[in-house]
Formats: sequence, C-alpha cells, structure tokens
Amino acid sequence: MEEASRASKFAYTFIVLFILWLVVTASLDSQELITGAVIALIVAALTHDVFTKAGLANLHPKRVAYAIAYIPYFLWAMIMANLDVAYRVLHPARPIRPGIVKCKTVLNSDTGKLSLANSITLTPGTITLDVDGENYFIHWIWVPDEVLNAKDDSEHVEKASEAITRPFEKYLRVIFG
Amino acid sequence: MLKRGLAIITLLIIGYWLAQGLAGVPFGQDKMLVGQYYLDHVKEQTGSVNAVTAVVVNYRGFDTLGEVTVLFIASTGVGALLWERKKRRTAKTEGSIVLTTGTRLLVPFVILFGAYIFIHGHLTPGGGFPGGATIATAFLLLYMAFTMYEIPHKAFEKTEGLVGMGYVIVGLIGLAIGGYFLFDWIWQTWGWGHDNIGRLFSGGFIPIIYTIIGLKVGTELSGIIDNMLKEEVSE
Repeated sequence: MEEASRASKFAYTFIVLFILWLVVTASLDSQELITGAVIALIVAALTHDVFTKAGLANLHPKRVAYAIAYIPYFLWAMIMANLDVAYRVLHPARPIRPGIVKCKTVLNSDTGKLSLANSITLTPGTITLDVDGENYFIHWIWVPDEVLNAKDDSEHVEKASEAITRPFEKYLRVIFG
Repeated sequence: MLKRGLAIITLLIIGYWLAQGLAGVPFGQDKMLVGQYYLDHVKEQTGSVNAVTAVVVNYRGFDTLGEVTVLFIASTGVGALLWERKKRRTAKTEGSIVLTTGTRLLVPFVILFGAYIFIHGHLTPGGGFPGGATIATAFLLLYMAFTMYEIPHKAFEKTEGLVGMGYVIVGLIGLAIGGYFLFDWIWQTWGWGHDNIGRLFSGGFIPIIYTIIGLKVGTELSGIIDNMLKEEVSE
C-alpha cells in the first residue's frame, strides 16, 4: 500500500486522538472539548508520522464495518480458546502435544501483521514467537495430526496456516490491507 | 555468615523500635490540625477540588519548586557524569515488527493520556509529575523499539529551559501583584473561574503550573533516558 499524504495522516491521527479524549473525559462540556481539540492537534502534529501510514483511508466505511464486526468474532474465539485451555489443564490425561509451526500470511501492512500476531497469541492455545516478513512462527499447544504428518514443508505450512491464520485474515485483510 | 546474622539482628531491633514508636499513634481517629483547615477552605481559597493538588501547588508551592529543581539537578548531573564528545545509541538488534508497530500505535495515545493527567490536576488524582512521567514513558518506548531513535534534542532542551523559567515567572508575577512569591493571581486578583468550580477552566493557576511541570518532567526524564542509553564512539 502506498503511503498517504501528510495532511491525510495528520487528519486521521487528530480524529483518533480526539475520540480517545472524548472516551477518557466522558464529558461533553465545551471547555473539555476545546482543550481536547487543542491537545489532540498538538499531539497529532508531533506524532502523525509515527502513528499511521495509510492516513484517512483507514476510515473507509467498509474497513470500519469490518473492524466492528471483527470485535465479537474475536471475542468469541478468545472465550472458546480459554475454555479449551482450561479443559486441557483440568483433564487428567493432560492432552498436550506442543510444537512450533510455521505459517504464511497474506497481509501486507505492518499494522495488519501486528493485529494478526496479537489475535493468534490471544486465541486457541497458540502463541506467536516471531514474525519475519510473511512468515509467522507459532507455538501450538496441540499440533493436530494432519500438520504432524505433513509430507513436506509446503504442505505443513499450508495446513498450519489453514488452521491458525486464515480465520482472522479474512477480516484483517479488509481492515488493514 | 556472621555479617549476615548481625545485619538481621540489627534490622530486627530497628523494626521493633519503629513498631514501638508507631504503636502510640491512634489509628482511625481524627488527628487533623492543619489538615482540617485545608479541607474546609480549599475550594474558596484556591478554586481546586483536588485538595492534594491545592496543597502541593498553592499552599506549599515552594516544595514543588524545590522538587522540580531536584529533578533538574538530577538530569543535569546525569548529563555531566555521562558526558562524552561523541555518543551514539548502543542497541544492536532491531526489534521485531510486533514491537515496532505496537510502539508506533501506542506512542500518540500515551502522550495524549499524559497531557490529560497534567491538565486535569486540579480535578482528578495525578498532576504534573505523573503526567510528565507518562509522557517520558512514550519516549522510552520509542528508545526501546527503534535502534536509531533519538529525541529531538534542540526542541527538548529549549522547552525544558523555557517551562522552568515559566514556573518562576508565574511566581514572580504573583510577587508583583499580590506581594509574595507564588501568589495565585489568577484566582485571588482576577477572580477567574469563581463561577465554575469543578469544571476544566478553574483552579486558579494550578492547571498552568501543572502544564509547566508536566512538560518539564517529561522532557527531563526523556533527557535522562537519552543520556543513559548512549555510549562513546571509539575512533
């Protein structure tokens, strides 16, 4: 994705910071709004170059809608993951078969890769160990048979990605590109 | 072994001695002498609803000026101790993409929240020192995540000096108007904010001084981090 213009980055950073100000003050007092706008302007002027690459394009309605839809989807995956780990801990036979697998992602942007890494860490017994370009190295609490018995490296990567990264990518690819 | 035993025995004696001394202080009883005065008069005398802030900045402003001076001396001292003609960052390995991108996203939020803390010093817990430390955390994050990051020195050192002078100037204006140093002229002479105690634009000069302190503490701690993370370039 090409970088957005300076003005677009600045406007986007300002909008996000001002929304954060509204959330932390939880007040629509005119004095708070004026001060919040001034501070958001100053902080955005200092940090917009660090904060964003895509600028206002992040606020495209389709992206926002997918981001909102992603929240319950992700929360549900997280609840199921924690129940699954609780089951493995409490089960007398302790069904744990740990291993490190390699996945490939289709995401391009840094923010997308960060969100994918965090989503993986917070869900089904998987932890992101390292991200290197498009490769993810993931620690899995229960490596399933089809990944374990993969004939070669590419099949292994394909099967692991299918199970771990694909479910998130269909949302994150729209949200972050 | 003998040394350690002696140290433990000494500590036990000191602990017992302190416990004996504190046992005489009644717990949970009203023993406020000056405290009651502060609580009764803080709103009408300073316009601040946060009594701690009012005491620290208004009633006992000299202490805070002293604290800011201590921090300034600490920063200057670190700078003097670690002074080299040529210095460079020492980090050797680049952080992973998760660390760097996460830092990029967090830094503006941390800075905004630091500003929120010091601007609301007269309304909520916090004030200039926590707010400034929060802002310095944002720069620490940048230092930790990027091997080549350096704070913009010129802007930082100038801001540090200017806001330090700003504090003294606010005090000197009070001296000129009200007759003593750090006299709250905005509240007592101008009467500004009397009608909206508890809203943001109130509290006399407390928000102004806390903005000054927040910026000063933020730039100073960032400067200390900068000094400590660099090492001499050998040529």
